[in-house]
Order: sequence, then structure tokens, then C-alpha cells
Amino acid sequence: MALKGLAGKILRVNLTSGSITKEPTPDDVFAGYIGARGVGAYLLLKELKAHTDPLGPDNKLIFLTGPVEGTLAPGANKITVTFRSPLTGTYSFSLCGGHLAPEVKFAGYDGIIIEGRADRPVYLWIDDDRVSLKDASHLWGKLTHATEDAIRAELKDDAIRVACIGPAGEKLSRFACIQSDYHREFGRGGAGAVMGAKNLKAIAVRGTGSVEVADPEALEALTEKVYGILAANLKARARRYYGTPEMVDGTNGLGYWGTRNFSTGYFEEGHNINAANMKEKIFVGSMSCYACPIACGKVSLIRSGPYAGTMIEGPEFESTGLLGANCGVSDLEALVKVVEICDIYGLDTMSAGAVASLAMECYEKGIITKEDTGGLELNFGNGEALVALMEKIARREGIGDLFAEGAKRAAEKLGVPELAMQVKGQEFATYEPRGCKGMGLGYAISPKGAHHMIAPTMGPETAGDGSKRFEYKGKAALVRETQFLMAVVDSLSLCSSMRFALGLKEQVELYRAVTGLSLDETGALSLGEKITNLERLFNLREGFDRKDDYLPSRMLKEKMPTGPSQGHLVELDPMLDEYYDLMGWDRQGRPTAAKLAELGLAELWQEVK
Amino acid sequence: MNVLVTYPERCVGCRICEQWCSWKHEGQVNPTKSRIRVHRVHSKYLNIPVTCMQCAKSPCIAACREGALRKDSATGAVIVDEEKCIGCRRCVRACPYGAVAIDKDKRIVLICDLCGGEPQCVAHCREGAIEYVSLAVADRGHRAAYVETVVATMAAETKDGIKATGEGGCQ
Ligand code: SF4
Repeated sequence: MALKGLAGKILRVNLTSGSITKEPTPDDVFAGYIGARGVGAYLLLKELKAHTDPLGPDNKLIFLTGPVEGTLAPGANKITVTFRSPLTGTYSFSLCGGHLAPEVKFAGYDGIIIEGRADRPVYLWIDDDRVSLKDASHLWGKLTHATEDAIRAELKDDAIRVACIGPAGEKLSRFACIQSDYHREFGRGGAGAVMGAKNLKAIAVRGTGSVEVADPEALEALTEKVYGILAANLKARARRYYGTPEMVDGTNGLGYWGTRNFSTGYFEEGHNINAANMKEKIFVGSMSCYACPIACGKVSLIRSGPYAGTMIEGPEFESTGLLGANCGVSDLEALVKVVEICDIYGLDTMSAGAVASLAMECYEKGIITKEDTGGLELNFGNGEALVALMEKIARREGIGDLFAEGAKRAAEKLGVPELAMQVKGQEFATYEPRGCKGMGLGYAISPKGAHHMIAPTMGPETAGDGSKRFEYKGKAALVRETQFLMAVVDSLSLCSSMRFALGLKEQVELYRAVTGLSLDETGALSLGEKITNLERLFNLREGFDRKDDYLPSRMLKEKMPTGPSQGHLVELDPMLDEYYDLMGWDRQGRPTAAKLAELGLAELWQEVK
Repeated sequence: MNVLVTYPERCVGCRICEQWCSWKHEGQVNPTKSRIRVHRVHSKYLNIPVTCMQCAKSPCIAACREGALRKDSATGAVIVDEEKCIGCRRCVRACPYGAVAIDKDKRIVLICDLCGGEPQCVAHCREGAIEYVSLAVADRGHRAAYVETVVATMAAETKDGIKATGEGGCQ
């Protein structure tokens, strides 16, 4: 059966041999795991041998779209890459918006699997069904924006979509990202380093086809309905007006905004880098990903001062938090500049911020000195020094070489492992777990390390008077359910902002209208559970279990010193116990045989173990 | 008669207009079959919707040797006679706005037909980046912009102590 909504083919590119093959999309896998994230988890577990070196030729980059992309579906624009992370050693995936995903689908592919390692720099050129590897020696060393421009010029088509790495990926920075459309990126987990290790500079795509949908009328009606809901929804309107920084005031106001390397959760100077101030001082326009009625991307321009002329899309909320509050930096212009450096060198802004804040704390504590930093006075709040440090990290110059390894490795080398705010090696997102405990549990159990979108529970946790965020009982259930919901939305490849209008019910309707497959809400949730368990199995095979589901001791033992969440800690162990029980896992965090049988994963686990 | 007016400065590049154009005309979402195309100038963070301007003297019609193009008397849209069009692309080259494209499967040209008077791109653009307005008001914006420039110049001159009357001008 050829599933409706799908392009029908997966492209497999072996960089070692240069072979390029087109395989039929495994419909049963798509039907069983929805698409993108779910299918990626399955394929990675199945195709990767245990203990594969993340930076060796055997690691894979599995790019996958979802079933609803390339149709009328609103906000269907994410493409996922699944890989073993060089930062964490765990299963990892990363989602990128922009216009790449529909282009891949229009070119006739549901996904692209990259394996092996080229012996010299190459880029992949997908021109509908004509696919080739092209020499990229002349592009090696180029910044991301320049690479995109050069490829479009070389292929003589401005409408081509490009995903590429910058120098950070080439130099194997463990938190290098893959950049696309100038500002959209596969951010977390170091996919850019995997690409760099494979000598793959870029993927360029031109697609001129289309996909068929099962029930056009239902799809059209649903799409119109979603436009209507989004136009009326307050949260969506705020995001449309201010971009993701609309979350600054709420997060800081409740004191769960990681500040100065998560030494606290409240940034006194938050108002300088909030949405209103950005809107007034730097925003000059909006940019949208494909098919999105929100258009949360904001274009910023610095008009004067040392960084005059700098223009970026952003800063996003997470970058604002981690490079701003978490570095104690309230200088909006420096913030924009440092985001630009991350974008053009190809660094994940989130890890970059967490790493810089670690460096700053080390500097303030005398663990590194002015001599080590090459003269930089790396105190919290010094925007100018932050900019200079980021350039060093991006180029692996001087002390930048150490920090390009990520917070965990850098802190270990400096003899202060407890100062790295990370789980499994993945640096925290911007939410302070002591001020929002479910987020803490979410960071802890996340298969890819401290990631905020595995179980973004902050909405329900801060609803009402906001005091629920301090409770730890009951958080396990909330995290569990949110986790399943996210697995569904990520696998459909919808932008998570679409959840303002598309609840599970509408997502299921959308899935049915496009694919023609019958699926109800219960069924979707159990697919979410299955995907979640699959991801756990990958990590289990690599030796990760409960011992790795921990937050740094600062979160567990030091009470939050200031702000509205003052005095709180994360009561992690009881939450973990409760979570494992609810998941049907043992107290070591391993799915029980009964659970695996129930989910239909027992056989697969036997086979790959 | 109404014409399409685009405001590139408002466009965010979501390409929802493209989606609906090809969906309504071809029953599928396919940007290359859309009669409106949104061009992104990455380096300048700009998005420019490109579509038919309903020129009064259509260069595309003039360029067509096959008599495949005509103007719809009711809407003013250029209508393609699919039987007559041979896909030679003379109209594509004649269009000053790059608004004509070729359908690679049917091998005939795609030109905005204004959806018979209810343009779907306009109906679905949330940003107000495309409007469908009467000829009488279509160009008001330009007039207003010109007037604004004059007002600003006059205000500046008054501030500098130079009378706007032109007195003391050239000597
Ligand atoms: S729908 Fe409007 S904002 Fe979106 S791309 Fe088209 S013209 Fe631009």
C-alpha cells in the first residue's frame, strides 16, 4: 500500500562508497510510528549497532519528514534529524523549521539517510529525482550564510533550500548545529558535528512535485478552522506579535528563568531583554516558516553602537534566556551579535549560552583566569566579553577549544563537574527546574538530555496562581502525558506552536484526512508511548539508566536563593520513582518485559539488544 | 474592475498564498504550480510576493503568437486557452514582473486568473500583503507616500528657517 500524504521514497546516501539509492518508504513503519521523530527512533535503533562512535563513519543522520507536510496542513514544516549524539552519547533528534521539509517532500522523498564518510568535503544536491554528490572543497571553512548563498549561486537557482554546517561543525564542536534558511536550525545534540565528521558540508534541495492526500475536503475544512482558532487565540497572537520572547516576562516573573549559570531563577534586568523592549528597539519585520499562520520569526537590526548593522532573525526566547539571563547579560545589542555568531558559525545558541555561563562562573570563582581567557574579563553581565568568547568557541581558539566540547566535558576537565548544568551531557534549556519542578523531571528523563520540548509542562504548571509549579507530587503523570503528546506532534512534524490550535483531537483529524488511516486519540497516545519507550531502549542499550536521569546537585541540594521561587529545590527521587511506576518501568528506569510486550516492542528489543 | 496590489514589506514568506493557489487550481499543494510565488531574498531578510499585475496593455497577450491569451472582460484577468497555448514561453519572457510560469506537466503557462474574481491568495494572506482593490483606489498608496515625502521635506525646510514659499531661493 502506498500511504497517502507520503512521497513514497527514502533516499539513502552512502558517503564512503558514493552510492545513492532510493528505497520505498516503509509504509508499515510510518503507520506504526506516525512519521519523523517516531520513524527516526525506530530506524536508528534498528540500523545503528550498539556503541557506534557518534563521530565515526557508522553513525547516521536520518532526516525525516512527517505525513502531513507538503499538504495544506498549517504549520507543517518541521524536518527531523535523528542520530547518536556526540555531545551525550544518547539517542538524539533535532527539529528544524523553515522551508526545507516541504521541499524534500516536493522533491519526492519522505526522508534522507546519510551514512559513511566522504574522503573529501562534498555536498548533496537533490534536484527532484536527480541526486548527486558534488565537490565542496571550495565551501569548506565558509560561514553558513555564505555557504547557502554560494550554493544557490552555483546551482543558479535562488529558490533552492539549503541545510549546511559552518566552521563549528567542520571543527567538530560537540554542539554544532545544522543551519537552514539562514536562521532555522537542527539545534540540539550536535548534529552539525556528525555532519562535519562525515565531510558533508551541505544538503541542497529543489522539489517540484507534490503529494496526494486522502480526503481533500476534510483537510481544507480543518485548515480553515485552525486558521480561525489561531487568529483568535491569545497565546498565538502574542507569539505572532512578539515572537517567542513573549515568554520572557512570564518565565522571569515567576522566577523560573535560569540566571547566571542557573545559580538562581530570576534575572533582575530581565526587562531589558524582554519582548516589549525588543519590539521597540530592534525588531524590524517578521519571517515565517512554511505554511505558518503565526510567523513568530522576528527580524532584528542593530542600528548603532559597535555592532551596528548586525541583522538576524531572532533572538528566540531560548537564546535570550541562555545567552542573556544565564550569562547575566542584559545588553540587547550584544545578545543580537552573539546570536549572529552562533548562526553563521553554526552553533546551537542554547548550548552556547550554557557553556558561556559555565565559563563565566568559572572565571568569577577563579577556576579560570584572565590568562586562560586571553585577557577577557568573563564576569557575568559582560556582553562584550561574551561576544569575544563566542568567537573563540566558534573557532576553537584558545580557551574556546575547551568549551567547544560542551559544558559537561569542559567542567570535568576543569575539575568542577558540578558546575555544568546538564543532563547526560546536554545543557539545560532556559527553564529553571527549581522554579518549575515538572520541567526538572522532564529534563531528567529526556532521552536526549536536558531538553525542554520532551515534556513542556510549564503551561499547566504555571496556570492559575502559579503555585502548582512548586508541587512535585503528580508531576510524573503530567510529564508522562505531555511526553506522549509531544511525541505525536513531533512525529507529525508540526511546529509545536500549532498546539495552540491543534489539540490531539485535531491532530488526529489532520492525520486521518491526509493519510486516510484510521486513528483515534487513544491510539495516537499509545503511539506516543511506544515512541517514548523506543527511545528509552536505544539509551538502555548504550548503558544509560536511572543513574543518568539526574539533575546537577545545585538543583537538588541548594535552595533557590532569590526571586519568586526562592527557597525551592527539586525533589527528584520521588518524582522519578513515581514516573517509572507510571511508565511501567522498573525503578532503574528500564521498561519491564510486560510493558514491552504490551507495546509490541518485545520482539524488536530481542532483535537489536 | 479590481486589481491585485502586493505589499512586499508586509509579507512574511509563509507561502500560504502559494499553497491555496495551487490547491484551488490544481487540487494539490505544489509551489511550482502556483500562480503567485513568494521569493525570499535571504541576505536581506525580505519576502516578495510575485504575481500578475493585470497590466492595462498586457505584454503577455501582445507577445503570444498563438492567440492563446485574452483578457476576461468581467475581471480583467488574463485567461489562458489551454488548447492554443504551446508553452513557447514568449509571454514568460515578455512579462515585466516575472509573474508568468510554466506548468512542467501540462506544458502550458500559468497566469493568475484572479480565481474568477475571488482571489484565494488574498483571502488567505493573514498579513494583508496582497489586496484586491478597485483600480480607482489601487494607486492611492503611492500618491499618499508621495504626499508624505513632500510634507516631510516642507517640515524640514521650515525647521531650518527656510520658508517653504521658495523666497530667497536662488541668487
Ligand atoms: S500569504 Fe501573504 S504573508 Fe504569506 S507569503 Fe503570501 S503574501 Fe506573504
